[in-house]
Amino acid sequence: MRILMLSWEFPPVMTGGLGMACYGMTKALLSMGIEVDLIIPTNEEVYFPLRKPEDADLMPVVFTDPLKKKKFGKKINIHSLVEGAKYLDMAYFTTGRRTFKEIWREEILEGIKNTTSLEFLFDILSKDGPFFPEVRNYTAKAVNIAKQLNYDLIHAHDWLTYPAASLIKTLSDKPWISHIHSTEFDRAGGAGDSRIHNIEYMGMHLCDKIIAVSGYTSNIIMEKYMADRNKIKIVHNAFVVEEAGKPKKRIFKEPTVAFIGRITLQKGPDYFLKVARKVLQKEKKVRFIMAGKGDMERGIIHHSASMGMGTKFLFSGYLSRQELESILSAADIFVMPSVSEPFGIAPLEAMSYGTVAIISKQSGVAEIIENAYKVDFWDIDRIVSIILDLIKNPEKLKQMSQSSVEEVTKIQWKEAARKIFDVYSECLKN
Amino acid sequence: MLHIVFYFQVHQPFRLRRYRLTEIGNLGNYFDEELNKNIINKISEKCYLPANNLLLDLIEKYDGTFKVSFSITGTLIEQLRQYRPDVLDSFRALAKSGGVEFLGETYHHSLSSLFDEDEFLEQVRMHSQLMEDQFGVKPTTFRNTELIYNNKISDLVSELPQFKIILTEGADKILKWRSPLYAYKTYTKKHLLLLKYYRLSDDIAFRFSDKGWVEHPLNVGKFVDWIMNLPMIENTGKKLYLNLFMDYETFGEHQWSDTGIFEFMKHLPEHILKKKFVCFNWPCETEDSLNYEPEALSIPDPISWADTERDLSAWLSNSMQWNSMKTFYKLLDEIKARGRTDLLDAARKLSTSDLYYYMCTKYFQDGDVHKYFSPYSTPEDAYIYFMHVLTDMEKKLEEQTWP
Repeated sequence: MRILMLSWEFPPVMTGGLGMACYGMTKALLSMGIEVDLIIPTNEEVYFPLRKPEDADLMPVVFTDPLKKKKFGKKINIHSLVEGAKYLDMAYFTTGRRTFKEIWREEILEGIKNTTSLEFLFDILSKDGPFFPEVRNYTAKAVNIAKQLNYDLIHAHDWLTYPAASLIKTLSDKPWISHIHSTEFDRAGGAGDSRIHNIEYMGMHLCDKIIAVSGYTSNIIMEKYMADRNKIKIVHNAFVVEEAGKPKKRIFKEPTVAFIGRITLQKGPDYFLKVARKVLQKEKKVRFIMAGKGDMERGIIHHSASMGMGTKFLFSGYLSRQELESILSAADIFVMPSVSEPFGIAPLEAMSYGTVAIISKQSGVAEIIENAYKVDFWDIDRIVSIILDLIKNPEKLKQMSQSSVEEVTKIQWKEAARKIFDVYSECLKN
Repeated sequence: MLHIVFYFQVHQPFRLRRYRLTEIGNLGNYFDEELNKNIINKISEKCYLPANNLLLDLIEKYDGTFKVSFSITGTLIEQLRQYRPDVLDSFRALAKSGGVEFLGETYHHSLSSLFDEDEFLEQVRMHSQLMEDQFGVKPTTFRNTELIYNNKISDLVSELPQFKIILTEGADKILKWRSPLYAYKTYTKKHLLLLKYYRLSDDIAFRFSDKGWVEHPLNVGKFVDWIMNLPMIENTGKKLYLNLFMDYETFGEHQWSDTGIFEFMKHLPEHILKKKFVCFNWPCETEDSLNYEPEALSIPDPISWADTERDLSAWLSNSMQWNSMKTFYKLLDEIKARGRTDLLDAARKLSTSDLYYYMCTKYFQDGDVHKYFSPYSTPEDAYIYFMHVLTDMEKKLEEQTWP
């Protein structure tokens, strides 16, 4: 069985949990003997033929345009390819005086008989805005590559790849699985971008099966996108623990509480700040760390400084993967006050470092974890009392830390991959 | 008679490294030695050496009639000692020439006058001692960091009896209808006040190479005409003081050599000294030349020479600046209280005003100036890394006992 996998992230190219999830499930699928052709946003027309589990790390590459291959030789740097893709814009489509519309008509729609239903997709993609130029680029490229490949079904992750998946399905008539890692409702914390909703809606309705990363997300898919209940299968993400329960390396001798993630509305950084202030009013010997970047960072920095917490509330600024791990190791308590989190892999990572997690009930990960405190993201007083209780009872903290490590080691991609395989089989049966 | 008083501020801070959160407690170095060294080298070549040579020539050429004054900070002297002893020697040569007055200020170019009176007095004493050690002079004129001044600062300076004169900004809001050309007194009449004539000072310091300025290019003839046409008509025989105060880095650094700034300075004295009733003076000579009883000015709210507001907003206008400043002075207190002299030197380097200036979030024209001077891409970055350094120091304070 060979899968055409369309994703926006894959290590080392990633900004969030999507890349980690794709990596984990792909590696597990490869161990089951399933073959994967992966297309991610790259500057050049390349795909990654993954056949063995180790390929998920080695990332063998194939150039579909042989002329380009000469330029790069056999070894290419994935980083530079994908970095380049970020900055590509309409220019890609206007070289040689050809517009996006002409390319759309002459290349993308080549071989598609009934194109009228795809006109609306063209209208949406022609507009500008964050991600749209990159999605246009990805779509054109993925369609061209897919025309040259043989596969049994299409597995597409999140809305950025749905325009490509819809066109590829129309061309190849292969089954299409939409994997939902997050929706515009989660990211925007409200209505969001209507064009993205349209694409998500299309992706959920035109596809053959939907995989949701949690029951929480499945509910959003049914309620907000009115997707067919029978099409949805819930497959919780897992987490690859490299070495669980390493001894903690403290930065501070005081209890340390960390927020780690994008500093955006979705992640609830403002709730974390309010929690910190209330805790510090009752207990001076605590350090709070907010690690990450995001559009709310500036506001939160200014707000925190105005609260006069001195050096008790610190920011990481830009941080490397290694620094992130150091902070996870240094923290005693991890808080994820997400307003809406389809899954949320960060708490699992924190737990693997023996860091006790306090997580939002409005998250998918809350459905599969026992040894974590589950709270409403807005319930500041409850989060404060949990933190104060753990600080005052170091034995309890230690016990909780140990059981966190034990639990997280048991969460394996193997099981998730088995469920995904079931979805594949079901698709191919029909 | 019009006395032209030149005062140049010569200062460089110890810039901080991007001290990572994960480095806290690692006993790392707080300061960006590479960057500081590069900047000191660059400014030495572009400004300090050529400007010192020029001034030395002028002082010798005009045989004691061309005079200037310098305020050199301790943080610069330390860096010159470390990276450019040749530049320090050239300042010493200027001191020996007899054409330069050295002014007193806080050793670390700090805002301690606003937050910690004892620390302020201590830093001023440290600076005076440094001037004596380096140049063999005892300053008698005081200028506070960035010309920050109010009544309270004159009270503080009264505790240091060697100072007779204070320099500050000729801000419109304190002068109102008055002219900055007169000498004034502090509200207690204990000190003389000389006020910066900001229009002519800034014509040299900021506008000299500004091609959008209607008077560009500025030449010596035009500048001397402006001086001669100053409203001296109202002068009823009273001595006037044209106080031209600016950063020394104006010469060759803020205004590059190819703008003609050195040529301008080279020819200014001969044009001035040709005129009757105009001469160069040091601030310390004011009292002897005075022929009237100056008016006392009461200035309750602090003024400074920075930005269009001429107030403290460059260092203290947002929450990041307040939180970092208050946290710093609390820490400094604690370090002193515990007698941790081992931490005092590094801590005092964190009192330098520039580090708080980098956190300023004011926009428009002044924002550009702030950006020009800042080694960080955003004010928030400046804050984040400064707080990491403070945290590290707090940790050292708590974890070790001294000795």
